Amino acid sequence: MRGSIPSPGLATMKYGGNTACVELRVGPDNRIVIIDAGSGIRALGNSLMADNLVDDSIKADIFLSHTHWDHIMGYPFFIPVYSPGSVIKVYGPVTFEDDPLEDIVGGQMKYRYFPVNLGELSSNIEYIRLNENPFIDLGDGLELSTKLLNHPITSLGYRFEYDGKVVCTCYDTEPFSNLFITDPNAPGYDEAMALEGEEVATELNMVIEQFFAGADLLIHDAQYTEEEYRRRRNWGHTSIEYAIAAANRAGVKKLALFHHDPDRTDDQLDEFAKKFCDPGYPGDTEVFFAREGMVVEL
Amino acid sequence: MEFNKEKQRENIESFIRKMPSLSTTVGKVMEICSRTDASPNELNKVISLDPILAGQVLKLINSAYYSLINKVTSLTRAITMLGMNTVKNIALSTAIIRTVSGVKKSRALPTAKFWEHSIGTGVSARLLGEVKGYSPMEREELFLAGLLHDLGKVPFGDEYIEVLNIAKQDQQSLIEVERDLIGIDHQEVGLMIAEKWKLNKVITECITTHHEIDRLDGGAGQQVALVALANIYTNILDHGYAGDPFPDEEDIARLLQLVDLSHDVFGTIGARVIDEIHKSELFLRT
Repeated sequence: MRGSIPSPGLATMKYGGNTACVELRVGPDNRIVIIDAGSGIRALGNSLMADNLVDDSIKADIFLSHTHWDHIMGYPFFIPVYSPGSVIKVYGPVTFEDDPLEDIVGGQMKYRYFPVNLGELSSNIEYIRLNENPFIDLGDGLELSTKLLNHPITSLGYRFEYDGKVVCTCYDTEPFSNLFITDPNAPGYDEAMALEGEEVATELNMVIEQFFAGADLLIHDAQYTEEEYRRRRNWGHTSIEYAIAAANRAGVKKLALFHHDPDRTDDQLDEFAKKFCDPGYPGDTEVFFAREGMVVEL
Repeated sequence: MEFNKEKQRENIESFIRKMPSLSTTVGKVMEICSRTDASPNELNKVISLDPILAGQVLKLINSAYYSLINKVTSLTRAITMLGMNTVKNIALSTAIIRTVSGVKKSRALPTAKFWEHSIGTGVSARLLGEVKGYSPMEREELFLAGLLHDLGKVPFGDEYIEVLNIAKQDQQSLIEVERDLIGIDHQEVGLMIAEKWKLNKVITECITTHHEIDRLDGGAGQQVALVALANIYTNILDHGYAGDPFPDEEDIARLLQLVDLSHDVFGTIGARVIDEIHKSELFLRT
């Protein structure tokens, strides 16, 4: 899978060229939870419908990490929303000055962009706005907490817990950093501000690590290498090295590195895997690069 | 009924002389908000210099709207968590409303209703600017211009109650009744404040010509027309109250023609106007 924009082609076939979409299956009833509606959700929708030939409809909860286009673009192509019997709840954050969630996600379904209008969807769809929240009961023993991440628009991390197992998402995000001037010789430097900026950023990053502490699986933004990240500060994404170190500090069992750069080739990811996923790399967390269609059993 | 016009003008001039200058804080917040290269240090400093403003900004950030689990207790933290732009917007609107509302409580125009109208106009003007493809910075200017367009109504004394009554009874345009009875209208008074506060050209023109619909060519004509439309639209929505509830169909048609938009634009911005007004009015509750 890739971040930002679908990148199909020979160089992305192994890890996949679609944008973000994760499927969780929970409990004995195989409850369907979907995280993000990137272009990957099209194939998921097709397979869900194929599995359910009886009444041609599904029940699912879709959680959007945020509403940047690469995370919602697949929604109009998610076939179950056109099925009259489907019951779908779409959860997600919206940014302070933006429209209601329904308009942001459904705004893609206007005749100027797409042949079907939002109002024409036949299934039962509910849109639920989420904020930072330490406990949301999703029913049947499934619990959720959400955490505000650091991205140019409001982006939420999700922590799902069911029967003692924990799956966390932490994307799109980059580590909080000290935004204030730190060079004592630069104009406008203020020592107290510089120190507090540092303190706050460190604390906010610790809070995020506590959020995914002990997770059985953490799916974390890892768009850049550390070297690339130095040139892409404030773009809202994390480096592979940082994600691995943070997961280890938080005692995460498995780490899926996610949101690969659209220009990253499979060969490069294979090279990275040799280094970062090698048991000799520091830390106890099991690390792998997320791949389209990959299944992780917990 | 007619008032002593000379006396009225004197009272208004004296009121404006006593009005505080746009405080250094607000002036600086406005300056920083209009610059794209301003640093977080500058924003932090300018807000911190004014402890009351700083308190109001933090109160808003901690309001239910964001639902942050941990309370934000410092500006440095607010800027780190929410970014420069959010903090800038909050500081600016808070500072301006406080400056103007602090001057006087008008009996004629209740403060909350007046600001509801002003915010409605600001929000609508910003959305119309978006439809017209204005840059984010120009849209913020439209918001400010809408927010401040009726500033000239603030200095009128209790006699203004009579002006409002007559405009309402006779379904006359407010500005004409002002001219008839008081001898000076809120655009002229607005100009005096704009000069005192050294507001920029676009905002000043919106304050001084938003009722001059027949001569809005050149200069900031397009922005003024957008603010004038936003003003009429907010009156039609019956949101807040600034005493001028009778829109003239011909004015609307002329304004729409000036900015090359059709009536449909109100449908386009409709739902968002209400939503944004609701959000922006957090400022009134501090």
